[in-house]
Amino acid sequence: MDIDILELSDRSARFILSDVDAAFANGLRRTMLADVPTLAIDEVNIYNNTSVLYDEQVALRLALVPLLTSFDEFTPHEECSCEEGCPACTISLTLSVEAPMGEEKTVYSGDLVSADPKVKAADSNIPVVKLKGGQQLVLEAIAKMGYGHDHAKWQAGVACGYKNVPVINIEGCDLCEKCVEACPRDILALGEESAEVVDDRLLNCSLCKQCVEACGIDAISVSENDTSFIFTLESDGSYSAEELIINAVNTIRTKASTLDNILGEL
Amino acid sequence: MLPVRCFTCGKVIANSWEDYKRRVEQGEAPAAVLDDLGVTRYCCRRMILAHVELVDVVAPYQ
Ligand code: SF4
Ligand code: SF4
Ligand SMILES: [Zn+2]
Ligand SMILES: [Zn+2]
Repeated sequence: MDIDILELSDRSARFILSDVDAAFANGLRRTMLADVPTLAIDEVNIYNNTSVLYDEQVALRLALVPLLTSFDEFTPHEECSCEEGCPACTISLTLSVEAPMGEEKTVYSGDLVSADPKVKAADSNIPVVKLKGGQQLVLEAIAKMGYGHDHAKWQAGVACGYKNVPVINIEGCDLCEKCVEACPRDILALGEESAEVVDDRLLNCSLCKQCVEACGIDAISVSENDTSFIFTLESDGSYSAEELIINAVNTIRTKASTLDNILGEL
Repeated sequence: MLPVRCFTCGKVIANSWEDYKRRVEQGEAPAAVLDDLGVTRYCCRRMILAHVELVDVVAPYQ
């Protein structure tokens, strides 16, 4: 297995994963979406809500706010030894905002105050509800560590996907330029003796094969490399993109060793 | 209120709304503003483009 990073920023990453099969690439994708646990608000005790949104709507909006999570410090609630929630799997946050008379005030995710300074909203500028003068929102929210396969609010990876690395072969070309015109992504250009792939553009090829159809003499062929994948992923903010990849791999590793143990006992 | 996340991909989009609204009211092209705010996928773009903000209309009635 080989990883070649193309882009890596705080919230997104793009890399080439090679020498693995599609099952592994898909396993990694599914783990990032569903099996990397994160913290998200799961229970809300409303003390006062005179805003225009129903309690349930406020609770849903709060639940979808990504919270910065430290992977090692919390245990997923369903695996925790407690039943009602304990400090190992839950954390409490409070929110108290009132709009002064005659003024409007927007409640933001940044208004959530948590018991642990490390746990806070990943983005502090997500509007929760707009309050008119005199309206008030006071509540306590309990965040639990959970899995993306139970609810999208626990989904750490956003828009994770991959495609095969394209392989374009050109042989016996007569420089008619039809493929260059047909390609919607400007991948091809005419070279000295044949049509050529423009430098650095190969990875943008969508494998649409319009160039193959356009070529009258079948000089160009487009296929996919079955063992190399261009992986793109985005994190919702609970982890950085780098942490998300590492946590996903650790999750797969734990699952594999659990399976190994079970098989060993049989 | 604009939904917190995109229904399709799950990206947080609500925090782009205020900037988007302000800049479009100042006359910038919506497409350019969305590109600039990093809302690049069309699933997320439709969330913002198709949104009708009604809080101010209903807010006085609690
Ligand atoms: S497969 Fe499509 S995108 Fe790729 S080079 Fe051919 S026409 Fe262009
Ligand atoms: S369409 Fe075929 S023959 Fe014409 S330039 Fe492209 S590869 Fe060469
Ligand atoms: Zn617990
Ligand atoms: Zn989206």
